[in-house]
Amino acid sequence: MRRRFAERLVLATAGVVILMSALFAYLRVAS
Amino acid sequence: MFPYVARRVVWLTIYLLFVLAPVLALLVGDLSPARDFWTEFSSAIAYAGLAMMGLQFGLTARFRYVTEPWGEDVIYHFHRLLSLVALALVIAHPIILFIVTPSRLRLLNFFAAPPVARWASLSTYALIALVVTSLWRVQFRIRYETWHVLHILLAVVAIVAGIIHMIGWGIYLVDPRKRALWIVLPIFWIGLLLYVRIIKPLFLLRRPYVVTEVREERGDSWTLVMQPHHHRGFRFTPGQFGWLTIWGSPFKITAHPFSFSSSAEVADGRVEMTIRNLGDLTSRIHEVPVGGRVYLDGPYGAFTIGNPADMHVLIAGGVGITPMMSMIRTLADQGDKRPVVLMYGSKDWESITFREQLEALEARLDLKVVHVLMDPPAGWKGEHGFINSELMMRHLPPPYREHEYFICGPNPMMDSIEKALGQMHVPLSKYHSERYSFV
Repeated sequence: MRRRFAERLVLATAGVVILMSALFAYLRVAS
Repeated sequence: MFPYVARRVVWLTIYLLFVLAPVLALLVGDLSPARDFWTEFSSAIAYAGLAMMGLQFGLTARFRYVTEPWGEDVIYHFHRLLSLVALALVIAHPIILFIVTPSRLRLLNFFAAPPVARWASLSTYALIALVVTSLWRVQFRIRYETWHVLHILLAVVAIVAGIIHMIGWGIYLVDPRKRALWIVLPIFWIGLLLYVRIIKPLFLLRRPYVVTEVREERGDSWTLVMQPHHHRGFRFTPGQFGWLTIWGSPFKITAHPFSFSSSAEVADGRVEMTIRNLGDLTSRIHEVPVGGRVYLDGPYGAFTIGNPADMHVLIAGGVGITPMMSMIRTLADQGDKRPVVLMYGSKDWESITFREQLEALEARLDLKVVHVLMDPPAGWKGEHGFINSELMMRHLPPPYREHEYFICGPNPMMDSIEKALGQMHVPLSKYHSERYSFV
């Protein structure tokens, strides 16, 4: 269960990082 | 005390800020003309991947404030999985670039490629080697100590080569302020490494412990009794653990995590660790000389006794008994009257570590010990096989969801107990576990 908790945490972190990277690229191209 | 959940949110936010703020800072100030979306996206994930790699040093730096709300095992699992994410981001970076501009594929030729591309290759290969040797260390038969040195070296190579590539490519780091930021960042990351490897050992060097007894226990285990030498030691809560360095100074690259097995109520700073022979260093514990000097970094871990109003169900497998023993001894010393049930899985009757000590403690506490043997002797009337939900329900009073459960043992046992507790509708908040094989 604690492993699953860590796994969810990593997935959430990876999700945020990828989304923010996409935002970075969007802002760069849009500006 | 600030609740654990709030502290987790704070640390997760800080972590994301440390990863994303330096990436988003690249958007500020003078910029070269933008390229297409996917090329820019691939740059962003490479910077983020490198920042994640650097922060890995922070996750394993044993900052108590960081690890306490999570538990050390979660932090190490997080560290391990994040390395896969960082690797995926770093590898996705060139793959996207190759898809967008196939002519860039020529950069894969290490000997013909410009130096700036070679640094990128070196960084990526080092990261791949790092992940592969970590995931399959046992299969490759790499000694833990050797792996640890290799792990640190590969991580430093991956980060330094990655930074040189980024500065060399020069798209985002032309502005001297941004370049300074991305030079200071790796210095900070490697500073975290130096903190663990140099500053902390210097502190530990001034606080040695002396081994006052090496006691044989049942089940091929040995208890080290350690007394602080010219200092007061530290206070721990039962269930916590420390990193032990024997046969060397605290500068030695590898310390080993072991739970305390003694009562937390001992006033003179004395601590005991009970260690089972599982090969490697643990097979030589009985050779530790009485009077010898050892170093203890601790206490760590969030696996500690809970609400005094609730029945405590301790489920231990093999040497997983050590943190439970500390809990039981501490409760006995405190004169605590809460009901405690210990379900204790062992190989056979003769190898039950602390068997006699537990019998004595049953008289001092409201403690019921349920031995579960894999290989029971003839005529054994107790439990045998694996601890499962039926077995637990035979020995625990309902409602099961009201008790506090503590689990420590080998990984397969912990997985099956967690499943069994789920079948018994025990909420997550009521069970606590620690995996001692987290490194």
